[in-house]
Amino acid sequence: MTMRNQVAVLMRKAPYGSVYTAEGFRSIMGVGVFEMDVRVIFIDDGVYALVKGQDPAGLDMKSLGDGFPMLPDFGITKFYVHDHSLAERGLTPDDLVMDVEEVDGNAVARLLAESGTVLPF
Amino acid sequence: MKIGVLVLEGPYQHQAADSAYHFTKAALARGHEIVGIFLYTDGVNNGNRFIKPPGERNIAQMWDELGAQGIDIVACTACAKFRGFTRDLMVDHVQLSGLGSLAEYMQTADRFVTFGD
Repeated sequence: MTMRNQVAVLMRKAPYGSVYTAEGFRSIMGVGVFEMDVRVIFIDDGVYALVKGQDPAGLDMKSLGDGFPMLPDFGITKFYVHDHSLAERGLTPDDLVMDVEEVDGNAVARLLAESGTVLPF
Repeated sequence: MKIGVLVLEGPYQHQAADSAYHFTKAALARGHEIVGIFLYTDGVNNGNRFIKPPGERNIAQMWDELGAQGIDIVACTACAKFRGFTRDLMVDHVQLSGLGSLAEYMQTADRFVTFGD
């Protein structure tokens, strides 16, 4: 697997106020099938996409909290959450719908530097 | 250098589409190769053949002319469906294709540059 096949999908925004997180989710599925090594990084308001108990039914939308935990079944297994972004929002890993690796800012920078491509959502 | 371009915004609302266009032109002028331009999410609106801005730059036409020069410009098929686009509503030199094209551009480019909000 060369660096060109490594893509970091960056989830930066709150899950339902705009299309970005939902489309980021679709892009993971979409490019993942084309021999891309995908790592998913949740940072800033993007961490809300992983919080337990999301119910966007009132918006007539599907819960992204149900979607992300399904990704390992499709071979997407690298998930990272920015520790400071979690703490800033009063959240801990126990509040999240799946096991993700907590990483600090330096580790996020390293992950981005190691990825051939970054898709920022 | 081989460069891939991703556009995440439509025309006029934000500067992203203009910036992507001017970046592409400048890169070509410097002798770089553009492996492809992927119009994603609202970015697909850049290819609307009925764009007719009174007295202003026509961004769809700008992309069309770039495509006519042989630059590969692809709009996301699924995003087009979400926005009511069919092939015949797009300018001649913007094609509809799936995320496989995005993956291909990422895999063939030395640098991959995203323009968004």
